[in-house]
Amino acid sequence: MTNDLVLGVAGAGGDGVISAGEALMTAAARDGYRAMMTKSYGSQIRGGESSFRLRLSTEPLWNIGGSLDVAVALNWDDFLRFGAELPVGGRTTVIYDSASGIAIDDLPLAGVSPQEAIAVPLSEIAREHAGTGKAKNTVVLGLLAGWLGLPRDSLLAGLRKRFAKKSPDVTEGNERAFAAGIAFAEAHPLRSTRRLEPPQPPMVPRLLTDGNDMCAAAAIFAGCSFFGGYPITPSTEIMQFLSRELWRYGGTVLQAEDEIAGIGAVVGASFAGRKAMTATSGPGMSLKSEILGLATIAELPLVCVNVQRGGPSTGIPTKSEQADLFQAAFSAHGDAVRPVIAPTSVADIFGTTVDAFNIAEQYQTPVILLSDAEIAQRKEVVDPIDTTVFTLVERRVPNDRELEHYMRFQITESGVSPISHPGMEGGNYLASGIEHAESGAPTASGVMHARMNEKRIEKLAPLKSRRDLFTIEGDPAAPLAIVSWGSVAGVAREAANLARREGIRVKILIPRLLYPISEEIFGEFFASVRAGLVIEQSHQGQLYRIMRMFVDVPRGLESLARSGSNPITPAEVLDRLRAMVTTLQSVRVPEPEPPPG
Amino acid sequence: MMTTTSTSSYAAKEYKSDLKPIWCPGCGDFGVVQAIYRALAAVGRPPHEIAFVSGIGCSSRIPGYTTAYGFNSVHGRALPIAQGIKLARPDLLVLVAGGDGDGFSIGGGHVAHAIRRNVDLTYIVMDNQIYGLTKGQLSPTSTKGLKTVSSPHGSIEDPVNPLMYVLGYGARFVAQGTPADMNGLADLIEAGLRYPGFAFINVQSPCITYGRVEAQLKAYKAAMRPLDTASRPAGAAEKRSSWTVGHDPTDRLQAMKLAAEYGRTLYTGIFYKDSAPEPTYEALAGERARSLTASGSSRAEILKIFALR
Repeated sequence: MTNDLVLGVAGAGGDGVISAGEALMTAAARDGYRAMMTKSYGSQIRGGESSFRLRLSTEPLWNIGGSLDVAVALNWDDFLRFGAELPVGGRTTVIYDSASGIAIDDLPLAGVSPQEAIAVPLSEIAREHAGTGKAKNTVVLGLLAGWLGLPRDSLLAGLRKRFAKKSPDVTEGNERAFAAGIAFAEAHPLRSTRRLEPPQPPMVPRLLTDGNDMCAAAAIFAGCSFFGGYPITPSTEIMQFLSRELWRYGGTVLQAEDEIAGIGAVVGASFAGRKAMTATSGPGMSLKSEILGLATIAELPLVCVNVQRGGPSTGIPTKSEQADLFQAAFSAHGDAVRPVIAPTSVADIFGTTVDAFNIAEQYQTPVILLSDAEIAQRKEVVDPIDTTVFTLVERRVPNDRELEHYMRFQITESGVSPISHPGMEGGNYLASGIEHAESGAPTASGVMHARMNEKRIEKLAPLKSRRDLFTIEGDPAAPLAIVSWGSVAGVAREAANLARREGIRVKILIPRLLYPISEEIFGEFFASVRAGLVIEQSHQGQLYRIMRMFVDVPRGLESLARSGSNPITPAEVLDRLRAMVTTLQSVRVPEPEPPPG
Repeated sequence: MMTTTSTSSYAAKEYKSDLKPIWCPGCGDFGVVQAIYRALAAVGRPPHEIAFVSGIGCSSRIPGYTTAYGFNSVHGRALPIAQGIKLARPDLLVLVAGGDGDGFSIGGGHVAHAIRRNVDLTYIVMDNQIYGLTKGQLSPTSTKGLKTVSSPHGSIEDPVNPLMYVLGYGARFVAQGTPADMNGLADLIEAGLRYPGFAFINVQSPCITYGRVEAQLKAYKAAMRPLDTASRPAGAAEKRSSWTVGHDPTDRLQAMKLAAEYGRTLYTGIFYKDSAPEPTYEALAGERARSLTASGSSRAEILKIFALR
């Protein structure tokens, strides 16, 4: 028995790979397994190859895992197109359609010998029992139910639901194909241990969703009542979710004519007093840059989600990358500092989105929520979220006394000035992208410009002490460290856990606040550190470089960074850590310190 | 959506702010802002219930010269921002203003969409056929052949025709005025403000510093041909003065014929006004929100949508 399993399935468009994956995940999640699933497609709009990766476990999961435990190739050509996304290794069980005619000892795996390979007459079983080769995916479900010990009743219930609208023939055919898959699995037991331990059913129902939907739901929870945006992969589902749901809460959604108009309308709605959000990806961020600057100088709250994908330009729209951190931090002209925060998982994007709204409203600033395609598109079983722990921040509006001699941009101790909105008598002011005096009147005064820059930047200083925006785990005195962010932080976290289990003294820092950089929190963290890794999915290692701008990092701190679409795995991180230990002789735990004196 | 329209108890000067305009003495925009004060006083909404949005350019300074909530935003983006305001707060009176560069060059792409959404905005373009703030370059409405600092050998492009542009996209209220006729301009702006939908007013507002001689107030006053849009019994047309031009503002094709004269004949008045206005975007959005909020969903319980059962 095992308690953790990574499964990858690929086939041609029309093979029903994705629907099989959804069915498998839903059934397993219903029965109490933790699960994570990513889907991947060829670049065709319809048809073409498709695949999914599903990780199932009885324990909480941080990432989608590395090398596959079980690989299913409905078709080898399609399977191989996914390359590093579906890595087969020496410990993989490979299942494929014997109709391919490929011999077990001649698999097209470029020298890799999997632990076990089984050719199953998938097409033949499907035709025999369901009367159509289309039911191959259902045969695979049966095989996996049999071999992995997955809950048959839940899977069967899912099948019936899925085919509910089809004719009884189709449903019955698929039920027979499912049973035949199970029968084949029982008649041909695996040599490798792939059977999953039964899960502990949760006391409270868990949630099942992806990062984009979770982000949109969090926006509703946080009080967002206006969304303006434009369709762009891989962020579009945020707009789609809100287009369906936001109206129910009295909100408005505008699909704008372009990215600029989307954020323009959001600025307008915020000026009018609403909590407002837009969502986009790299190319859209480039277009929104000017209006983000306007929101900074006009001190208008808004949340701008960037679901990062491969760049520059169109890049690889469907693949995840973390290469927009420089853009998020630095793409404004002028001395503009705006908070950049990043979620680390589907579960985490709920709280991070709420934080984004709270920071925006409290400090009257645009906030960039730097999500990534991995989180956005990944489906995940999420533990119930206690929403009562969140406090929702509302912007500070002027009181009656302040409205008597209202100054919109009054210099205050905190740098935050009460903000009025149209409809408030006495609060009338001129919002502008032009530099302004405290009253809002345009100015070209150098003195006023310097004071306003200081106000706008210094008002954000308290953020840098927000320890809740940083996750730190492990021995505070550890000489070895990992820093990671976004979806890749899940990989880093698992690697750190594995390393600690081997006795390696390593601690990990996962900043959700990426900008402005907290010199204090990074500085403290690095105090004990002699060597370490900054792990991120970009060619340049952008967090590594930004940290070095603001913090004295340890000399032994290295960047483990790679372009998107080339996944970083826990095993690989662990290897790097082991190598670092060898160099840093003293970092193994056992030897106790000699007593003082 | 119903708007609360209080009866006028505000004088024109109550819409005038203390800021001193940066415009050159003799600039047409002085007349435009005066006409706006008058129109606002006629409509009578209190200044704090008005949002006035602009882009960048000489004319885009205009919100600051009123006591309304102003927003002097970025170049070309006044319309999207104004739409966000109006959708967020349909009860507000929302004006948008800017120059021809703002509206028909850098922000030209937004005009069509503001029209087709039919958000209840009044969009005033101060069309001076030149970039004044940057000191005299070609603008999208500059005449072909015009020599400027950015076209020292003469422009080799046709100008945009703002009136044809908006009529072509289906604008439901289209007018043209000039500060050479202050009363007429104030009336047009008032009619635009009262129109329940997107209203477009092109204002021939001369640039005294970089504008052509024939595009100045005095010349406009002599050249303008007011449209006589009053409805009269059949056969009464001969009573019109020879100076004015009879026009049925519910006839879009006739309006386009007049609009085609842009740059040659300065018609002023209402070119087109849809006599049976469609519901505005914000009215439809409000209806949708009202019908969908009826289920009484609670934001605090949004996560139930993802619950595994």
